[in-house]
Amino acid sequence: MSVLGANFRRDLEIRRYPLLLYVLVPLAALVLQAWLPRVLGPYAWFDLPLVVTVYFALGRRSPIQGTIMGAAMGLFEDALSQHAIGVNGIAKTVVGFVAASVGVRIDVENHTIRLILNFLLSLLSSAIFVFTYRVLLGLDLEWQWFTELFRAIGNSLFAMVLFPLLDRLQIRE
Amino acid sequence: MESFFTRYRNLIVLAAILMAQIVGLAVQVRRNSEGRSTIDYKDAAGVRLIRLWAEALVAPPERAIHGSKMTAIHLWQNYIDLRQVREQNQELQKTIDRLRLEQASLLEDARQGERLQALLDFQHRYIYTTLPAQAIGSSGSEQSRVFYLDKGSSDGLKPDMAVITADGIVGKVRDVFSHTAQVLVINDQTSGAGVILETTRTRGILTGNAGGQLEIVGILADDRIKPGETVLTAGGDLVFPRGLPVGVVEKVVRDPERDSFIDVIVKPAAHLDRLDEVLVITNTQPRFSPEQQQDLATSEAVKGVEAAAIKDQLKASQINAERLPGLIDPNLPPDQQPLMDNSNPNPVAHPPQALHPDRFTPGAAKDGTDSAKPDATTGPARDQQSSTPGGAKSKPAPGPNVKTGSKPGQPSTSPPAHSQTGKPQRNP
Repeated sequence: MSVLGANFRRDLEIRRYPLLLYVLVPLAALVLQAWLPRVLGPYAWFDLPLVVTVYFALGRRSPIQGTIMGAAMGLFEDALSQHAIGVNGIAKTVVGFVAASVGVRIDVENHTIRLILNFLLSLLSSAIFVFTYRVLLGLDLEWQWFTELFRAIGNSLFAMVLFPLLDRLQIRE
Repeated sequence: MESFFTRYRNLIVLAAILMAQIVGLAVQVRRNSEGRSTIDYKDAAGVRLIRLWAEALVAPPERAIHGSKMTAIHLWQNYIDLRQVREQNQELQKTIDRLRLEQASLLEDARQGERLQALLDFQHRYIYTTLPAQAIGSSGSEQSRVFYLDKGSSDGLKPDMAVITADGIVGKVRDVFSHTAQVLVINDQTSGAGVILETTRTRGILTGNAGGQLEIVGILADDRIKPGETVLTAGGDLVFPRGLPVGVVEKVVRDPERDSFIDVIVKPAAHLDRLDEVLVITNTQPRFSPEQQQDLATSEAVKGVEAAAIKDQLKASQINAERLPGLIDPNLPPDQQPLMDNSNPNPVAHPPQALHPDRFTPGAAKDGTDSAKPDATTGPARDQQSSTPGGAKSKPAPGPNVKTGSKPGQPSTSPPAHSQTGKPQRNP
């Protein structure tokens, strides 16, 4: 992993995608996240909105965009659940911001780095979620750390497939 | 100031968004009476609006995915069903094929059974001894119309035995081997059979022509021979017994080689091209069934009784003839014949006496003309009178009774007015 200086970020390529892709891919992630658990049951160890948030945050290298996308994805995810709206929003807002910030500073073109970042950011999201839920809101939440670990692994597996596919859809100048 | 926001705008945006969400969470979470935090399950208007937007955004694709899933499941199930249906269809098709084969086999067996039954019936009814045989092969040549039987010399077949079916004659045994025999079909050009037309009783020789048709050759042109007439075997060829059906006249054509002759094309009664089972006439001695033998015995017995009765009748009539007197006895001279005997209880009737005698009246003729008149006496009597010794002519009898009743040479004792019957007659 090569750490780059802040001045070098201008030299980094900012990925651009078709505008429709910014709508369809998050929407597809939300829909699949709502639909696949019905099919897979308790083995739905993944968080597709998080994976998409990480991907676009790393690719765009814009913390603001990553923050907004993470917030939007998290809020929609909360809206579709029985949770209070904002729990996932806070977690994914932070993840989007961190991913974009890291993407500015390190070379995320490497696929392995992106997978590792995705794994770590998934754990971060779970941690923020649990923190927000139990500490900030004071609500009872039963959680198991290996479940969050499996979710992080599942996100990495999805990222392993999804990232190359989305890379093909970017606009190349 | 501007540079601060510019420099830390990312963090400012992050903080703002986080703060907004935290505030939103704070709005949603309540503390109950026990001091524990709970989520108000009855959403506020703003929260509900957010959930509504999210649902409106996600629900259509979800519905589409669900519909696609159900369609896919339906298609998959249909595919599975179709696979099963296809397998079932293949199994059923195999079953149908097998059943068709079995049906064809059974049908062939049934047809063969019918043919054999008909042949057996014919064999039982037929008067001559026959041997059923199966046609097992042919010559394979159009020019050689022969086929082979599954019976041979070991079964009693001999050359020139007639081969027939219940429909009609087929051919004759040409060559005999130990277990097979070669049959020359009647439509072969080298074949021949004596036939007779049923109606016109025209005889001819049946043979085959180059086209495999049956034709009767050597017949003089005869307008009476019409298509449809039945052709039977004549029995003169020492192969086919008489009276077997040969076929029917199909058409009559003029003999191309001889103008005054015709060729009669015959449609064979037997299916010469589809021969399976045939009968070989092994013995031309009449063979009677027990019923027929009983009928014959009965007939003979009846004939014997009738003959005995006729014989008895003849015998009785001879006895009667001996007992009854005859009119002419060959052992007696003419003048002593019973006919001249007046004692005959059944005298010969005389013509009545004429009411108006004339010269034609018997006995009324003059001398010299008597000879020209019809003689009133019988031949022998007249001859007797004319041949009287001394030339003396006897006086003719005055009446008709002269010629009957009295013997020659004896005077008539019966009065003239009396008839032979002795009854008084009117005398004119």
